[in-house]
Amino acid sequence: MGATNVVEVRQLTKIYRQGEINVTALNLIDLDIAQGEFLVLMGPSGSGKSTLLHIIAGIDRPTSGECHVQGIDVADLSESRLADWRNQNVGFVFQTFNLIPVLTAHENVELPLLLTRLNRRQRRKQVETALELVGLGDRARHLPRQLSGGQEQRVAIARSIVTDPQLVVADEPTGNLDSHSAHDVLSILQSMSRQAGKTVIMVTHDPKAAAFGSRTVHLEKGELVD
Amino acid sequence: MNAATYIVKNALRNKRRALLSVLSVAASLFLFVMLLVALREMTVPPEDIGSSLRIIARNKVSLAQPLPLKQLAIIEKIPGVEAVTPFSFYGGAYKGEEKFTSFAQFAVDPLRFTAVGVDAKIDPAELQAWFADRTTCIVGVDTAKRYGLKIGDRMRFTGQIYPVDLDLKIAGIYRGTMDDRNVFFHHKYLDEALGDPGTVGTWWLRAASPEEAPRVVERINRAFANTAAEVRAETERAFQLSFVSMWGNIKILIGSICSVVVFTLLLVTVSTMSMAIRERFRELAVLKALGFRRELFAFILAESFALAMTGALLGAGGAWWLFHSLDIPKVTNGIFVSFEVTPRHMGLAFGIAALLGIISAIGPAITVARTSVVQGLRTLD
Amino acid sequence: MALPLKYNFANVIVRWRATLATVLGIALTVAVFVLVQALAEGIKKSSAATGDPRNVLVVRKGSTAESSSLVSREQLRTFQYYDEIARNERSEPVISADIIVLANLPRRDGKGEANVLFRGITARGVELRPQVNLVPGLDAQGNALASRWFTPGRREIVVSARLAKRFAHFRIGGSFKSGPATFHVVGWLDGGGSAYDSECWIDADEARSIFDRDMYSSFLIRPRDEASRSNLIARIEGDKRFQLRAESETEYYKKQTLTAKPIQWLGSFLAVAMSIGAVFAAMNTMYAAVGARTREVGTLRVLGFRRRTVLVSFLIEGALLAFIGGLIGCAISLPMNGYTTGTISMETFSETVFAFSITPALLTKGLVFAVLVGIVGTFLPAVRASRLPVIAALKSL
Repeated sequence: MGATNVVEVRQLTKIYRQGEINVTALNLIDLDIAQGEFLVLMGPSGSGKSTLLHIIAGIDRPTSGECHVQGIDVADLSESRLADWRNQNVGFVFQTFNLIPVLTAHENVELPLLLTRLNRRQRRKQVETALELVGLGDRARHLPRQLSGGQEQRVAIARSIVTDPQLVVADEPTGNLDSHSAHDVLSILQSMSRQAGKTVIMVTHDPKAAAFGSRTVHLEKGELVD
Repeated sequence: MNAATYIVKNALRNKRRALLSVLSVAASLFLFVMLLVALREMTVPPEDIGSSLRIIARNKVSLAQPLPLKQLAIIEKIPGVEAVTPFSFYGGAYKGEEKFTSFAQFAVDPLRFTAVGVDAKIDPAELQAWFADRTTCIVGVDTAKRYGLKIGDRMRFTGQIYPVDLDLKIAGIYRGTMDDRNVFFHHKYLDEALGDPGTVGTWWLRAASPEEAPRVVERINRAFANTAAEVRAETERAFQLSFVSMWGNIKILIGSICSVVVFTLLLVTVSTMSMAIRERFRELAVLKALGFRRELFAFILAESFALAMTGALLGAGGAWWLFHSLDIPKVTNGIFVSFEVTPRHMGLAFGIAALLGIISAIGPAITVARTSVVQGLRTLD
Repeated sequence: MALPLKYNFANVIVRWRATLATVLGIALTVAVFVLVQALAEGIKKSSAATGDPRNVLVVRKGSTAESSSLVSREQLRTFQYYDEIARNERSEPVISADIIVLANLPRRDGKGEANVLFRGITARGVELRPQVNLVPGLDAQGNALASRWFTPGRREIVVSARLAKRFAHFRIGGSFKSGPATFHVVGWLDGGGSAYDSECWIDADEARSIFDRDMYSSFLIRPRDEASRSNLIARIEGDKRFQLRAESETEYYKKQTLTAKPIQWLGSFLAVAMSIGAVFAAMNTMYAAVGARTREVGTLRVLGFRRRTVLVSFLIEGALLAFIGGLIGCAISLPMNGYTTGTISMETFSETVFAFSITPALLTKGLVFAVLVGIVGTFLPAVRASRLPVIAALKSL
């Protein structure tokens, strides 16, 4: 486990307007995440854990403060640079899986690669590798509706690592799964961090899921508590 | 706030789309009314006593075949014939009009002509001037206005049917007939130019009364049966209608265009309502949760209706206003004479709009009724 | 790199039930467009296909059509021995003097009458028109009968096979009265898809005596060769005594577009009117699609796809949808190809028959039109999809 920090958050604040009121989702957060960590963000609903995750993953912007991922201040990137950056550096796993219903498992996993310069053969190889890693090599041609919830989420994980990003973020990845599938998914995420050396950040409110992480951090009303 | 305000506020939520939809409905209904009016203009010639009182007699072979001049003596003696004049369609191109000469020129016997065409109003002095000079003509006030012609001006025509050209001086300007566009000149002028062929295009007659007219038609046809030039006489009205029948199935043609227009209307209104309601699913679900049920359908129906009716007002109303304030013959280069938007047309247009207003509400209303409150609340705004 | 086309295609297919109304709307719009333009094409085609390029047609200067043209025997006598005119084996100049008569006859379905064009013609006139041939006809009972040409001196008539379907008494063996004469139908002719398909031929001398004509309508001349042709035309037109117009027969017919133009205009107008509805329907369908796929769009954005890619993707989907509608529209209009119908010609004022002519070019136009409608209708929804903020799409339950 390297001592380098993959993520460095400084004085991160997020305030958004809901109608006429200002809501403070995050208030002056400071956080460091080291490479290879499996960090779990926990907290009650409205605590800002998802917001923090979204900012680190580059799909939301802070109101003030900094968020450096592998040395780059993601808050500073333009819309299009951010898109490219996400494609190469972040893998996202959603609670609702978010697979494209009309594409097969293979095609879903291939999607992020379409934005790279790899040719067809190279893309195929990487997709097959990713699917093997999650144990679904034989289901490549299936459509999402032909897969169980757990299998769908595993395809989603394959998609999240197919560009070999350093960061993998998961927002309540087991929220829609039965305990057996949840266990499988969490094991895979764990192996990402332990074996592949990826930095995994997971939001959850399930303590059993949190147990898979290497460190847990609590948030309440937009602030870190401990 | 009451129901009406709520409905209006909702309808105007997306102003751009509301405007687009209303304009599309208006445009379609405007077109629809125009088509109905055009159909009426073409299939129902203007109703006037004259058209059932007067008779046109042509060669039975076709309108293109001439009649011998000597038939005049026989026709005059037929009981019921009040007056008769030779009436030949010259059909020339007006020099100075490049494309399409939209007014006709007829060669007549002036004295006899005035006995047949009694509704024309003209200054007696002008009329006498026309009688006196064989090289003159009288022209309808609409054409005179259009080309800025005055008494004494010359009108020249190139022969497209007859192999001679005309060079006429305007002796008078007439008004008061159903079609104030035409030019009438001396038949003798044409005869001389052609070298006295001894023929006329048709005979134009006036019967003693509209009741007598059919009998007169009968007598004329019989008088020339089995001669070298058999005659087909018919009332002016029947003659006009026969022109239309040559067009084939114009009613079907216009009918099908109208269907197309209505189809477009349907698509526009149904799509618009569908889009409008989809945007507000969540809100409607909230209202449903609050206990509004039947009211929702009423709101949707009212909005749909309002959209359709506003469009109808603009479209059909616009057509009506247009024809009331514009001088149609002038604007359409003389092609259409008496466009009129009747109450029946308006009724039909509004009726269709109303029907569409109702139909367009059905789909969205059913969807809202079927969707559970929970599902509705889940939808993104 | 764009999203795979399969994505768009699969989405269109998967939601076919919801998109059916729009697809059908576009199909109908394209069908109407194609059919009306096919009508105009058919009219133009029948004009353009008329005549033998070697022939020169002579009519009176200023007349709009043969049927209103008058040419005299003196004129004929003056130039019939011109050098430029070809001679046949008997050393006679190859010229035909025709007489056009319009006869008002009852329609077969009993729905009124229309003018039919009779051409009083000589044997030489028949020879000069090789595209016209006799075809087997039907008798009153519907049995097939051979056709023959009319016998000179007899009141016999050969009618166009296409007109035979539309007018009463035109079966072989039938007869009808026009003017003082009774005509007997002895044969059907086929004009090879030209204006001659709207004519009936009778003996020229009979025409003259029955309809009391001392003038002809037109002359049709065969010049010796190309060079003679231009000389002949120049010579006849240049002669101030005549006031005649001479041109190549095919050129003359090609210029007869008065009937086709308003129909073309009508077709375009109708298509535009209908396309307004189609655009709305497409807009509605695509807004629905965008609404149903907000999460999907958000996911794509998270994965790194740009706004513009999303925009283009939806535009392609709309265009694809419209294209399918266009294909269906073309498919349903194709059976009408070749269907004959008739209307009054604005040039001759007689009934003219022609066939709907659906060409590949026309079908392509229809498809392009459909795609344009699709793109216009999809534009606003596609913009909306591209503007969906990435997170809002993730927050939906």
